[in-house]
Amino acid sequence: MAGPDRHGSGAVSEQRLSLAPWKDRRNLLALVVSMVTLALILVFSATVQGFATRGNLSVILSNSASLAILSCGMAVVIISRGLDLSIIAVMVAGATTYATCIEAGMGGGAALVVTGLAIVAVGMINAWLIAYAELPAMLATLASAMAITGLFRFAILRGEFLLLLPKENPAVQALTSDLLPGLPVVTVMMLAALAATWVLLNRTVAGEIIYAMGDNFLAARLSGLPVRSVTMLIYVWAAVMALAAGLVVSSASGAVDFRTVTNGTLLFDVILVVVLGGIPLRGGRGGLANIVLGVALIAVLRNGMTLMNVTTQIQDVIKGLVLLAAIAAENFLNPRDIETDTAGDL
Amino acid sequence: MTPEPIVRITAATKSYGGIAALEDVSFDLRPGEIHALAGENGAGKSTLCKLIAGVITPTTGTIQVDGKPVTFANPKDATERGIAMVFQESSLVPQLTVAQNMVLGRESALNSVRRVRNAARQVLQSLNFKVDPSQLAGSLSTAKRQMVEIARAVLNDARVVIFDEPTAALTPEETEHLFDLMKRLRQRGVALIFISHALEEALNHADRITVLRNGQLVATGNASAFDRPTLIRHMIGNDLSQMASERPKTRSRAAKPVLQVEDLRMGSMVNNMSFSVFPGEITGIAGLIGSGRSEAAKVIVGHTKRNFDGGRIWLDGREVWYSAPSEAIADGIAYISEDRKYDGFFDTLSVARNIGLGWLARFRGRRILTPRERLRRVAADWQQRLSIHGAGGGKSVVYLSGGNQQKVVIAKSLVQEPRLVIFDEPTRGVDVGAIAEIRRIIRGFADSGAGVILISSYLPEILDLSDRILVAKSGTIVAEFARDEASATRIMHAAIH
Repeated sequence: MAGPDRHGSGAVSEQRLSLAPWKDRRNLLALVVSMVTLALILVFSATVQGFATRGNLSVILSNSASLAILSCGMAVVIISRGLDLSIIAVMVAGATTYATCIEAGMGGGAALVVTGLAIVAVGMINAWLIAYAELPAMLATLASAMAITGLFRFAILRGEFLLLLPKENPAVQALTSDLLPGLPVVTVMMLAALAATWVLLNRTVAGEIIYAMGDNFLAARLSGLPVRSVTMLIYVWAAVMALAAGLVVSSASGAVDFRTVTNGTLLFDVILVVVLGGIPLRGGRGGLANIVLGVALIAVLRNGMTLMNVTTQIQDVIKGLVLLAAIAAENFLNPRDIETDTAGDL
Repeated sequence: MTPEPIVRITAATKSYGGIAALEDVSFDLRPGEIHALAGENGAGKSTLCKLIAGVITPTTGTIQVDGKPVTFANPKDATERGIAMVFQESSLVPQLTVAQNMVLGRESALNSVRRVRNAARQVLQSLNFKVDPSQLAGSLSTAKRQMVEIARAVLNDARVVIFDEPTAALTPEETEHLFDLMKRLRQRGVALIFISHALEEALNHADRITVLRNGQLVATGNASAFDRPTLIRHMIGNDLSQMASERPKTRSRAAKPVLQVEDLRMGSMVNNMSFSVFPGEITGIAGLIGSGRSEAAKVIVGHTKRNFDGGRIWLDGREVWYSAPSEAIADGIAYISEDRKYDGFFDTLSVARNIGLGWLARFRGRRILTPRERLRRVAADWQQRLSIHGAGGGKSVVYLSGGNQQKVVIAKSLVQEPRLVIFDEPTRGVDVGAIAEIRRIIRGFADSGAGVILISSYLPEILDLSDRILVAKSGTIVAEFARDEASATRIMHAAIH
């Protein structure tokens, strides 16, 4: 059962929370969400033709790769009690830079290095605005999202929406191929992102500090933890995940589409994954299991609705209602009052 | 014959998330009595008061006012029935005048400034308060703000007035004045409840005393039936011989100070503060709330910025300037906050992880992977050294008692092996039993040769622990006493005048 495994574990993860699990209300939301996911899988399998097939499973897996990778970035940011609204803009900017580099005749590796450096720089600017200029994360990343989108559309696309990728270029084909028969490169990238996130959160000093910052930023700072450097790491991490997701999305569709940024659906989906998975926006809690759970729900929902020929507009309505229901359930399962509320709660 | 109670609470229970803050408590309040509530922190005193004042509603049980059962939807319902609460932290709106504050929430649709002011003046004068009703509430001292709250209660014809630790921020004279006033209100038939940590206040001024422990009512009766030892026994459930404080011997001072602060300035809170701290000594800083002590400490460790020309700090004769606490901690200076919930511990994390995070701060980014096995050993070691209880199975710190939480915060700093620790109100909100333990920890830490700054508003604590006592007032040090020449009167005199 995928539940949040971070509540009182971690560096000493053998020491699980001793409270009975039904008393840990956060587990309850994860439980509800996983039940809903299971129920959806059963309902879709029974009613939608072609849902419960091997072919569709691999479609779900490769279609959810970009969402999972983005969620790995966003989850780390949110656990530290931050927010990165620029993640989709960075994703598109990364894909654009990569495409431009290979068009200019660079090899795949060289293009990746150049793009990587550019994206790390973007992440560092975000982190600098938050950690040093002390802007609220939401405003800093919203502003940088606007700036990045504008800059890249102006400088590279000359105002166009769409950048077509050279499909025959080996640097693009490498991304669309299978690493092993039946195991596409994008699926491997998703698994690598999930594994790396698990290591970051559960095995590194930075991971410990990320949870500490999300739990109580002032206490983390007063304890002498290097909160500024870790903030740098967090937003660079999100940017790198965004770049990886950008490569996955653009190689699958053969194009970089800037409307992904402006229509906002993908950003909404990413936040949906994190919140539904059981990572609260107030930070300090949640882990890999929550990401996987959230991605599973959204991926199944998207795939099932598409197979049922539900229009994207109706899909948006349903996703919005699901988010509202989850937040309402969260508030109902985890009520707060004056005594249990902690200072500065979102 | 005892008069009919104004307020009667029957079998009230209030629980938060399955944890009972108040359990099956029945309580009577009679007109014209002063009723003291005693108990350790977390015993349920404030919860009981909030029930009566309509701030919270009981999970089970009933409240009767004048013999009729009532349900308060909000504090206003209680106010309308003549119940007023004077909060520990002032509930006045600083931007409004005294008179406006006194009628706040009960203004008539056509509010006449002059009529309100006259009504306020009349009440203030009848109570002998020298407060100008047209003054802004924000410009008043703590004692005067409290007076205004009391006057507001009188203006609203309150028949029940609840005081939550009214004397915590008052000088001895102001305290006497407050109790005189309470007695005058009693003569008018008003029933008064007060929470106090000073047992003498309850014994000397109350008619009846109720003692709570762990959310349950353990004793109630006439004040004359109690004395100090019985009260303490009821509060903590056993005898408190370990409370007897061992006065440390005067020791020979090290030649060189570990920390020197000169002309520290920060905003309006810290004005040219200068002092030194010697190794192996506890330097106590006494003073009233708002005298700039915590602010100065936070400037020293780099948590808040000082003014551009905000003075100089030397550590072992080397001038230092920290822009973040991590730099101060790297140099061995730690600050332990006065409000552990706000910026002390990580409430959702286990005791071990809290202590572990303090230890990890020492690596300053030089380590990538968590040394899990060592971390666990270090945490277990410190858990044992400070005898932190109730930490079993990785339970979150938030479920621990106040004393154990404080010990966690102290362990989180001591694990960094600092050379100078600033303890800010280290026993605030700590159960009586743990206070002695925490004082022993502080003493032992100083005896190991480290420097200690002890900020405390509780004079007995300063007098018991300190080797040297500084007195802060309006952001500057106004007096210094060797431990033998210090007394409560002399310190208070310096802190006020």
